[in-house]
Amino acid sequence: MEPFRDNDLVAGLAALRPAARPAFAAELDERAAAGFPRRSSLGASPLSGLRARLRALPPRRLAFSAGAVALAAVAAATVVVAIGEPGTDSNLSSGYGDGVRLSERPNAAAGEESSGFLSKVSPLDSEAAPAAKAAPSAGGSSGVEQSNFNGSANYNSSFRLDRDIERSAEMVLGADAADVSKDASRVFEAVHAHRGIVLRSSIHDGDEGEAGASFELLIPSARLGDALAAFSGIAEVRSRHEATADITAPTVRTGELLRDSRAKIDSLLNQLSAAETDAERTAAEAKLRAERRHGAYLRSQLSSLQRRANLSRVSLRIESGAGPTAPGAESGWGVGDALGDAGHILAIAAAVTIVGLAILAPLVLIALLAWLVNRTRIRRGRERALE
Amino acid sequence: MKGRLGRSRGVNGTLVATAEEAPREADLAFDRLYRSSRDDVYAYVASMVRDTAAAEEVTATAFERAYRKRSRFDSRRGEPRAWLFGIARNAALDELRRRGRQAELAAEPADLAAAPAHESAEESERRLALAAGLATLAPRERELIALKFFAGLANAEIAAVLGLSESNAGTKLHRAVTKLREACDGAL
Repeated sequence: MEPFRDNDLVAGLAALRPAARPAFAAELDERAAAGFPRRSSLGASPLSGLRARLRALPPRRLAFSAGAVALAAVAAATVVVAIGEPGTDSNLSSGYGDGVRLSERPNAAAGEESSGFLSKVSPLDSEAAPAAKAAPSAGGSSGVEQSNFNGSANYNSSFRLDRDIERSAEMVLGADAADVSKDASRVFEAVHAHRGIVLRSSIHDGDEGEAGASFELLIPSARLGDALAAFSGIAEVRSRHEATADITAPTVRTGELLRDSRAKIDSLLNQLSAAETDAERTAAEAKLRAERRHGAYLRSQLSSLQRRANLSRVSLRIESGAGPTAPGAESGWGVGDALGDAGHILAIAAAVTIVGLAILAPLVLIALLAWLVNRTRIRRGRERALE
Repeated sequence: MKGRLGRSRGVNGTLVATAEEAPREADLAFDRLYRSSRDDVYAYVASMVRDTAAAEEVTATAFERAYRKRSRFDSRRGEPRAWLFGIARNAALDELRRRGRQAELAAEPADLAAAPAHESAEESERRLALAAGLATLAPRERELIALKFFAGLANAEIAAVLGLSESNAGTKLHRAVTKLREACDGAL
């Protein structure tokens, strides 16, 4: 028999070519016409359906969808973080930055930190601190009435209905450089109109940002609210803080000590008049001098406390140049604020993205490694199937 | 998507499209690919799995997978037939892995025994010699023969299916054909 030639080989292989059964071919045509419906759709879980849909998506559309989902997640997280961030509401909505906040700080903080002069309390005044801490944080003039009386037993001994309240305020006004002198004059007028005292004042002329004025004032506490209202009418208020501290306890205690001291002085005077020897007289005079010094110190303390209760210290500054709100602007929110807010939002979005990536990156890396390992395993298994 | 039309005979199906929307380009291209490749895919798969029922199952699975992925096909990365046969090859190898069988590319013994009535004794002897020669080839060589002569792929398409260069695929195919001829001559 002749050996195989190329034509024989091709013809022979064609004869050996497997052919599909007509029934199978017809069935496959039907399925093709129906768009190859999934044969195992009855037992398929929603997850497998989703996976099949994702696999069917073109890579570009899949990447676009994943990017959109990631963007939406970052936006949602940014909104949540921005809303939940302390202080952001005022920064974003009011545009005042640290702007007008009426006594937002607790009284204790105001009494010990915010008002510099309030921190300079004498040992006797130290009892004011717990009293101030006991006061609610509502602040302002209302804080006086809302002070609670949960102090110690020592404090209860000094319980009084008419409280001695020390009040202070800080205010910053914004004005044009050309108006600083005029506004400073109006400050003086307002102080005098409210029977206040100007402890210290300083006025600087100059260009925008350089011109300004500062005042340290004492205003009768009963007229503090009116005075602040008058100051607010002079120029745009850029910031305003008020603080209160209850100094009833040290006042009462100092008064009691002063009464004791006076009684002791009377007693010493009696001893002095009854002294029969020089030695007794000398000793009584020495005690009397010491007690009088002590009494003078207590009177000074009591006077100081009463002055602090009667006169409120006000620190007032007039600034020129761009502040949180441009002087003369009708709206409280300008382009600068918008840029600031935009930067703030972008910073939050960047932080959210970084945190998200820090969480997701290891997970994605692990998933990628698992996918690669699985793919390699399947490929090797397929190649081994032919060996 | 460029397809070779007319290779498969008797294909009557047309991919479905709703009345509201015209069939997309990907659907039309897949329809052309299906019509031209149905019988070729079956012949190749049947050669791989050597079981009629399994071949039908794998062929259907291959077309189903290809249909699901049709929008992901990128014509810049290769010919559609090579892409389709790559899917069919993976499906066939998965079936072989699942069954734990070794691939054998010769036709089923039952098919070989079913000789045509008009066949002469010499033709029958040559056919049996060819089947025996196929059986002596290594599985990878038999797969090359199946892709070339059963599925009718060009060397470039075979290279794409197997992940080889075209010249390498051509060389391997030439060696396989030479080896098959020698085996057939030895069997006569």
